[in-house]
Amino acid sequence: MVFALDGVRVLEVGTFVSAPYCGKLFAGYGANVVKVEPPDGDISRAHGPFAGNEPNPETSALYLYLNTGKKSVVLDLGTSDGREAVLHLVRESDIVIENFRPADLRAMGLSYDVLRAVNPRVVLISITAYGQDGPYSDFRFNNLTAFAMGGHMYITGTDDGGPLKNGGYQADYQGGLNAFSAGMLALLAAERDGEGDHVDISQMQCMAPILEGGIPFFAYMGLWMPGRRGNQMSAAIAIYPCIDGQVGVHVMARNWPPFCRAIGRTDLLEDSRFETAADRMANNDELMAELYGWAEGVKKREIYEQAGRERAPIAFVHDMRDLVESPQLAARGSLQRVDHPQAGPAIYAGPPWWIGPSGWEAGRAPLLGEHTIPVLEGSGLEPSLLEAITEEPSP
Amino acid sequence: MKMPLDGVRVIDLTAVWAGPFGTRLLGDYGAEVIKVESPRQWDLLRSLGRIPRSETRWFNQAAYFNHNNRSKYGFALDLSGDVGRDLLLKLAGKSDVIIENFRSEVMGNLRLMFEDLRKANPEIIYVSMPGHGKTGPEKDFVSFGSNVEQLSGLVSVSGYPGGEPTKTGISYGDPVAGIALVAAVALALRKRTRTGEGSYVELAQREVLMSFVGEYLVDYSLNEELRELAGNAHPSHAPHGCYRSAGADAWITIVCETDGQFAALCKVIEAPELIDDARFATPTARKTNEDALSPYIEAWTLERGHYEAMYHLQRAGVPAGAVLTIPELMADPQLRYRRAWVEHTHPDAGTWEVEAPPWSLPRTPGHVRFPAPGFGQHNRYVLEELLQLSEREIVNLYAQGVVADEPDQTIHM
Repeated sequence: MVFALDGVRVLEVGTFVSAPYCGKLFAGYGANVVKVEPPDGDISRAHGPFAGNEPNPETSALYLYLNTGKKSVVLDLGTSDGREAVLHLVRESDIVIENFRPADLRAMGLSYDVLRAVNPRVVLISITAYGQDGPYSDFRFNNLTAFAMGGHMYITGTDDGGPLKNGGYQADYQGGLNAFSAGMLALLAAERDGEGDHVDISQMQCMAPILEGGIPFFAYMGLWMPGRRGNQMSAAIAIYPCIDGQVGVHVMARNWPPFCRAIGRTDLLEDSRFETAADRMANNDELMAELYGWAEGVKKREIYEQAGRERAPIAFVHDMRDLVESPQLAARGSLQRVDHPQAGPAIYAGPPWWIGPSGWEAGRAPLLGEHTIPVLEGSGLEPSLLEAITEEPSP
Repeated sequence: MKMPLDGVRVIDLTAVWAGPFGTRLLGDYGAEVIKVESPRQWDLLRSLGRIPRSETRWFNQAAYFNHNNRSKYGFALDLSGDVGRDLLLKLAGKSDVIIENFRSEVMGNLRLMFEDLRKANPEIIYVSMPGHGKTGPEKDFVSFGSNVEQLSGLVSVSGYPGGEPTKTGISYGDPVAGIALVAAVALALRKRTRTGEGSYVELAQREVLMSFVGEYLVDYSLNEELRELAGNAHPSHAPHGCYRSAGADAWITIVCETDGQFAALCKVIEAPELIDDARFATPTARKTNEDALSPYIEAWTLERGHYEAMYHLQRAGVPAGAVLTIPELMADPQLRYRRAWVEHTHPDAGTWEVEAPPWSLPRTPGHVRFPAPGFGQHNRYVLEELLQLSEREIVNLYAQGVVADEPDQTIHM
C-alpha cells in the first residue's frame, strides 16, 4: 500500500494534546513517528479518563487516542545523555514537533539553531499559545487560557453564564491541526529545496481570524456586537430541546421551504411574518417560539431522517453513544476498532479525511518506552551511550 | 521569495466559508487559485457584506467575501451546459488540483466526477468537502456549519455543569475543514510526486471535527459511560476557570497546574493564608474545594482590568489569559508585534486591515498576495492565456452567457 508520507521520519518531543495530535496525523498518513517521552511519561498518561476508571498510565483514553501509530522512546531531556540521544535522532529526522514555551525549549538546549546545526534539512514545528516571539512569547499557557486569548471564549456560552470553553481541548486541537497543515507545506518546500525551516504556530494567531465574519465586519465597517448568544444565533440557526435530546437547525434563505416541509409546518410558508429571510429576522422571537414548540414534540432520530429525506438542514446533537451507533459513520469505516495490550479493544475515530480508499492506518498507542531499545539501536547510537540510557537506575 | 506551493494551480469551485477559507490559505502560500463562480450561482458571501445594491459593483465590496477570497483569481463560468463543462475540463488539463463543496449530487449532475476529471488529466487531485461524506445512508442529508459540530460529538461535551449541550460561537466545522484542506492537498501532492498518480480526496466535515473529540469516543467505548458537562473546569487541576474582572462583561481565565503556581497565585491575590489552608493544600484538596476558591480570586480580579490582572499573574509565573473580544484582538500587543493584521487595498472596496497568513514559515513565507477578485475579473487571463482561445471564441462565450463580467443580481436577495 502506498501512503502519502512513506519515508518521512518524524520526531515528536511534545506533550499533552497539540503536538501529539499533529504527530498522530503524521503517523496515520504513513510517516514513521518516534515519540520521546520523559521517564514518567507524557502528562496525558496521567490525565484519563481511564479504562475502568482506574488510573493507569497505559490506559488513559487521551493518551491512547492521541498517540496511535507512534513508537515510544523514553529519554530524560534533563540529562546530557538524554539530550545527546535526542540530537542523534534529530540527525535522521525530516520533522521535529514540539510544544514547549520558547524559554523552556532553549533551557533544554533544543532550540532551532541547535537542531539546524546537526541537520539543516530538518523542519522544526513549534506549537505554542502565542508564537516564538513578541511580548507574550514566554507567558505560561494551557488550553483554557489559549482559548480565551484566541477570542473563541468570549462568544461562547450565555451572557449570564459567562464565557465558556468548548468541550475537551479545542484550542490545542486547533494548534495541532494548523501545525500539521503548515508542517506539510514546509515538508514540501524542504523536499523541493533541500533545506528545512522553523514553522512557528501561534494558537492565538490561528484562532483570532476565524470568528465567522467578526473580524471582517469590525475591521472594514466598525461593526461589532458584544455578548454571547448561547444556543441561538437566531431562530433559524439554533439548538432546541426535543423529547429525547436536542435538535439543531441551520436554515439559510433557500432552505426555508424544505425546512417547513420537514417539520410538517407548511402553514409557515403562508405566514406573512416569515415570508422572506428579512421577515424571519424581523420576527425572530415569534419564529423561535414556533420552533421551541415544534421541537418539544419530536424525537431526534425521527426528525433527522425526515429532514434528510426532505433535504432540510436539521441535525441532532450526537453524544458518544450516538456516534458509536451511527449508521453513517459505520458505513464510512469511520469507527475503527483498535486493540491495545492493556486497555483492550476500543473504537477510534477514523481518518479526518480520506486520500483514496485507504491511505490511513492508525495502529495503537505504544506502551511507555516500548521502543526505546529498538529505535536507539536502529539509529546507530553509540553502544556506551545506549547502555547508559537504558540501564535500570540503581535503587 | 519562494513559496511552498509555487507552481501549483488549483481550480476552486467552493463557496461560502469552509472551502474558500482553505483555498485562500493555498493562495497565500503560493498556489495559483482560480475561483470559478457561475454568473447565475455565485458565492453567497458577496451578498452578505451589508453593501447597498445601489452601489456600483456592490458585489465586489463585501468584507467577509474579500477576506476569504484574497490571493485568488476569479473566473465567471457557467458549468451547467456542455460549453462551460468542456472549458472546465480543458482548464483541469492545465491544473493540479480541483476542489468542490457542492451538495452531494451536483458534481454528478454536471458530469464532473473524479473519473470525468481524470480523463482530462490523469494526475489530477480531486478534493470533495461534503458534510457527511459521499457514501453511506446520510450522504444526501444537508448540513451547514452548526450542524457539523452537532454531528461530530463536540456539542454533546460542551456546556455549563448541569446545563444543556452548547454550541460553539461560530460555524466551527467550517474553518476547521478549511485548515484541514491545506494538509489534505499537500499530502496528495507529495503522493503524486512519488507515484505520478493523482488522488480522490474526501474531506467529510463531520469526520474532521470528530477527530477533535476522539478521546471522548475512546473513553465511551471503553467504559460505556457518558460524562457530565464540565464547563470550564479541568478533570484534575484547580483553580481552572473564568473570573470577572473590572469593566463591562470583562473576564480572565486563571489556571494552576502545580503547587508552586498556586502559592504564587495566593501571593498575587494578597491571600497568602490560603497556601497553608487545609482545603487547598494539595492538588486533590484544591480540586475538591475549587468552588470555595473562586470568591478569593474574584475579589482580586474584580479590582482590575483583565489585561492588568493577566500581567500581574504572568509575572509571578501563573498561567492566565484575558478573555479577549474582537476589538481587543485587533489592538492586542502580541498580535500587533506578530504583524497578524496587515493593511490591505482592494480596488472596489478601499483600504482596511485583514489578517495575515496565520503560519510563520520564515524560509518560504506566505503573503496576502493580491486582493480578492472582482466578479469575473480574470476571465480574460483564463480564456486567453491558459485556454488559448481566440478573440472570436471569447466574444462568442460572452454572447452565449457562458462567461460574464457581471453576476445575475436577482439571486441571494
